[in-house]
Amino acid sequence: MFPADCQYTKNHEYLKPLGDGTALIGITHYAQEALGDVVFVQLPEVGAAMAAGEEFGTVESVKTVSECYLPSDGEVLEANGELEAHPEFVNEDPYGKGWMLKIKLVGSINPELLDAKAYEIHVVSEAL
Amino acid sequence: MASAKKQTPLFDWHKSHGANLVEFGDYLMPVWYASARNEHLAVVSLAGLFDTSHMATLRVFGKDAFELLQWCFTRNLNACVGKDNAPLTDGRCVYGAFLDEYGNAIDDSLVYKIIDGEYMVVVNASMGGLVAKHVAEQAKGRDVNVIDLTDQLGKIDIQGPASIKVMAKILRNPEAVFDKLPYFSAKGHFDPASTLAGQVQLADGTPMLLSRSGYTGEVGFELFVERAHTVKVWEAIVAAGEEFGLTPCGLAARDSLRTGAVLPLSHQDIGPWTFIHHPWPFALPFTPAGDGFTKAFHGSAALEKASDAPYTLTFVGHDLRKVDAHNARVYLDGKEIGTVLTCATDMAIGRHEGKIFSIASPEKPAGLAIKGLCCGFIKVGSKLAPGTAVEIKDGKRAIQVVIETDVRPDRTARKALKTFL
Repeated sequence: MFPADCQYTKNHEYLKPLGDGTALIGITHYAQEALGDVVFVQLPEVGAAMAAGEEFGTVESVKTVSECYLPSDGEVLEANGELEAHPEFVNEDPYGKGWMLKIKLVGSINPELLDAKAYEIHVVSEAL
Repeated sequence: MASAKKQTPLFDWHKSHGANLVEFGDYLMPVWYASARNEHLAVVSLAGLFDTSHMATLRVFGKDAFELLQWCFTRNLNACVGKDNAPLTDGRCVYGAFLDEYGNAIDDSLVYKIIDGEYMVVVNASMGGLVAKHVAEQAKGRDVNVIDLTDQLGKIDIQGPASIKVMAKILRNPEAVFDKLPYFSAKGHFDPASTLAGQVQLADGTPMLLSRSGYTGEVGFELFVERAHTVKVWEAIVAAGEEFGLTPCGLAARDSLRTGAVLPLSHQDIGPWTFIHHPWPFALPFTPAGDGFTKAFHGSAALEKASDAPYTLTFVGHDLRKVDAHNARVYLDGKEIGTVLTCATDMAIGRHEGKIFSIASPEKPAGLAIKGLCCGFIKVGSKLAPGTAVEIKDGKRAIQVVIETDVRPDRTARKALKTFL
């Protein structure tokens, strides 16, 4: 449920480093399950430079509209255009077809991000 | 302090079938199983099954039961059925509300006439005790009993065009049950001692009260059974419905379906404010000219004096995006005019050149991709004409919506039952 090659925010975004100074950003399996059917995803323009913790988009589900925050400083290289026609990819495959942004990492990766183990503990404690 | 939440008889079934549970009116209820969107769509095109055992049922019976309800309830029971305003006869039910002395809604309700001197009143979750107390207080020496059956019954709603075929498979005598069963009528009884108990039974003889009504705008039934039979009836329907695509549904789909059917939610769209500008004027016993009421009832004096009562109006957006109704306001030409009461997405509708079509619309344009439309209710100080464009805005988002009198077209609730067999 929480791949070891990703790092996580307490707000349930993930960052998946691709090894070439870029990373994929999305929301976690736990987040998509809590939201329910994702029906609309709003993403930023390519080229935008953003800081860790900055709002990069919104995910609208049947239940609510939630903001997504960037896990680490970066510049938007690509936004997943497939999500416009298929927002359900966020539910079906959050770490694969449901990715949201590809960013160019600026500086080192945010040290506050959690590894898979620490994120799992965070999720369990939040559910209690 | 967290209070212990109540469970319906189907709680274990919901849990073992993957339901996401939420607190609603003192109960832990399914909000959705796998997908609220698919559940909503299933009810519009196939069938869905809802556990509504959290709703409360009252018995009002005795020589003066009619007189008491005529005083407490907002419908004139002598003139409320059909276009001709016929009296409420055995086996018919009507929608209305119970008001306090200020004309504010205590709760909305369906009132059923079972037989002379025997009425059934269905109210919202956790409202059984409160409404029973209110009605009993108004009895004032009348020969009538009010009994709150909260948590003594199971209630299951089967809704959607395949509902009739599903029920036909499990009822002992479906032809007789479906014969002369108009919208807002009922047959049978959950109490085996009732003289009506033989009218509607499962194949094994389990009696039920079957009401041709619901809260989705689609054709279907509300079933009332003794609490001990709830799981058995539910499982029989699930098994019979499999071949028809019947889907268990949670409260999220129920909320979006009722919003698309312009059905207000008590304590959200109607509530502790003057109950005079309801989206459905028939909820009050207006004279044909609309200049007064055809009877006096508890709260009517306050309604007659009300001069600045708010309006509950329905709206539809241009795409599926919504706002957070809990802190959203309504703007007309930039000026704040009211608050948002409900904002949901009816996933079964879309717009084409401004006109709304449903996935069930026979004349929907070929190739129209239906993704859903935001819709809901607002509370404003003065009436707005249908077609008026307003803006609704929460802290983050502003969307343009249009005041409408209807939302999801081509609903099936009122169609003849034989067309579904």
